Amino acid sequence: MKKEKSQKVRLSRGDLSLKIASVIITVVSMLLILFPFVLTISNAMKDNIKIYDVPPKLLPDPAHSLSMTVDYSNFKGSESELETALQNDMVSAMFGIYTKLDRESIFEIKFYGVQNGKTIFYSRVHQIELQMEKDYGIYEGTVLKPQTLLYKDRAQRVSNIIGYDFNVEGLTSHTAPEILQTETMEKLDTVFAKKFPLTGELTACKTTKNNMLLLESFVHYMKLPQYMYSSNPTIARYGFMAFVGNTILVIGFAMISQVLLCSICGFVISRLMNPRAARFALLFFLGAMMIPFVSIMLPQLIMYREMGAYNNYAALLLPFLYPYGFYVYLFKGFFDRIPGSYFEAARLDGASNFFLYTRICMPLSKPIISMIALQTFLGNWNDFFWAWMVTERQDLWTLNVALYNISNNVSTKQNALMGISLVTVLPVIIVALIFSKQLKASIMSSGVKG
Amino acid sequence: MKNKLGHGYFLRQKITPWLILLIPMIFTLWLKYYPILKAVYISFFNYDPIQQPGEFVGFENYITMFQTEYYWQAWKNSFIFLFLQLAMTFFIPIIQALTLNELKRKNAISTMYLLPTLIPTTINVIIWRWVWHPDYGVANQIVKLFGGEPQAWLSDPELVKFCIVFPGVIGGGIAVLLYLSAIQGISPDIMESASLDGCTGWKRLWYITLPNIRFVIFIQLIMSVSTAMQMLDAPYMFAAGGPSGASTTQGIYIYNAFNRDYNYGRGSAASVILMLVVLVMTAVQMHFENAERE
Repeated sequence: MKKEKSQKVRLSRGDLSLKIASVIITVVSMLLILFPFVLTISNAMKDNIKIYDVPPKLLPDPAHSLSMTVDYSNFKGSESELETALQNDMVSAMFGIYTKLDRESIFEIKFYGVQNGKTIFYSRVHQIELQMEKDYGIYEGTVLKPQTLLYKDRAQRVSNIIGYDFNVEGLTSHTAPEILQTETMEKLDTVFAKKFPLTGELTACKTTKNNMLLLESFVHYMKLPQYMYSSNPTIARYGFMAFVGNTILVIGFAMISQVLLCSICGFVISRLMNPRAARFALLFFLGAMMIPFVSIMLPQLIMYREMGAYNNYAALLLPFLYPYGFYVYLFKGFFDRIPGSYFEAARLDGASNFFLYTRICMPLSKPIISMIALQTFLGNWNDFFWAWMVTERQDLWTLNVALYNISNNVSTKQNALMGISLVTVLPVIIVALIFSKQLKASIMSSGVKG
Repeated sequence: MKNKLGHGYFLRQKITPWLILLIPMIFTLWLKYYPILKAVYISFFNYDPIQQPGEFVGFENYITMFQTEYYWQAWKNSFIFLFLQLAMTFFIPIIQALTLNELKRKNAISTMYLLPTLIPTTINVIIWRWVWHPDYGVANQIVKLFGGEPQAWLSDPELVKFCIVFPGVIGGGIAVLLYLSAIQGISPDIMESASLDGCTGWKRLWYITLPNIRFVIFIQLIMSVSTAMQMLDAPYMFAAGGPSGASTTQGIYIYNAFNRDYNYGRGSAASVILMLVVLVMTAVQMHFENAERE
């Protein structure tokens, strides 16, 4: 009792400064680790103009939603002429506001057309959609002016992409707002009166704050590949998900092939071989792992090209078809610890090697299988160079290759890049947090850098 | 009769494992060992991929390579990268693990330390290229805040290596968990007797904990040497080996040799030399590892 007390006193004196320092260092480390995330999120939520503000702000500005009502009661012409006029006005208004009021953080534009008191037209667009259309879409490389906006059928094509509702009898789902904010009206007048004239007459408009629009940006960032690589049919159809699919295919194949191959090799080396042969076989597999990728990438590329494994899935998947020495070693170590009596008993009953492997080893090795699978995931999630070297077709790209190419495209804006990066990494982080216990156990027990 | 049967049985028992291992072994030979032999082979030729293998030139590829300054600059770059990594980032996970061990809630915090592992290099490069942006980046804002001159960062040959290594200072990752498990693996008896002798706080950290995990630290050190020699992704993505070759590592040198100069022979020669260097380093590592264990 007495001893314990004196020890406590000594502990508290010696340990106090260490404890305080530990807390400070850990807190600083946490902040440093969160820094890239904060930077990414904040940049992804800014718009294309504000992202270049100096000094950069941590928090994005609040997002605004603008709705405007344009009256067509005085319009004379047929129904199809009215529709064309509405489409032209909608495109002029949206892109006019996008270019002229670019510092107002207007993330959403709602365009209503009314005639004789009935709402006949409604369209809604998010700012990022306009940005994509400007950067990669129909208006790629054009200066936004009324003449270029409405050139030939451009306005019709754009309005079909953005989407709209039109019915001369009146829309039931949407009603045009009638509130007129003078402040907004003045701003809009500077856009329309001088630069982007409308056919109809602007009768009402208002802006409201809606920060949810900042989150909606991410939905549109996901469409970036569709815009950038629209000439590739697979990307045009599946967009970002094509890259996700490729990544899942490659990593999934790696996991399955490694677990299968390494467990078979580990089983044979551990249970069917005498120690000398086992040592040789293990060194054979471990030695292959020592060969650095950098020194075989050139002959490997030549070899794969000669086989025709270039620019197709074979090139991406073949490198996983040999067992990784380290995993064989881990499997062998695990199987070595299974009591020999299990195997002897089964053998006496006339069990084959296949039976021993499938019915005795596999059911016992769930922990090691999950460990190898997680290690394979961690090791290949970061894989870039090989996949980058052997793929020219965009629909073969894995996420890393796609992100690298997107980031190297000059017209990619930083907010879209940050947004798409976040969309890529967030699901993995969530899954990792769910399985964090297994993940940590896997890392700690293997004791090697993934 | 009995003997014969036994002989056949043992023979089968001897051959079966090799038969099962045959396919994995052939694939390993084909996908890993054959390419490195091919690299040695190609390095002796003025390789022509269309009319293989081209003209035999002996050691000429090696000799001309050793005579170019660009090759030695790539080695110099690799070693500067290694030095910067050791000086700037290597010790950070050790400190993080040591301090984490002093705290409660180790579990939640160590999960946080996992996060940097999950960010692929591609995304890290996207984020940090924006940080280093000369006009709009955070880095120059901080420099200006302290009254310094704005820098060109990734476009500056003097600074580019620093910029590529710097993202590592956030630490975390697998290394922290490895150190932590090593620290927790120290036998409680040692800790208890140390505290009874009055060795607590900083003293305990310095005289008891660190010496007990020095083996893990040593392994990590060898690992970072080997990975620094093989550095490829990060310098390539940050600056494509530039500006003016200031971030060209061995990996980028090899890649440029065949991809930009179409000189397969020289690329293979560089591959073989790099392979030898890495092998020697691995052998040294194994030697020390064995010595430590015994």
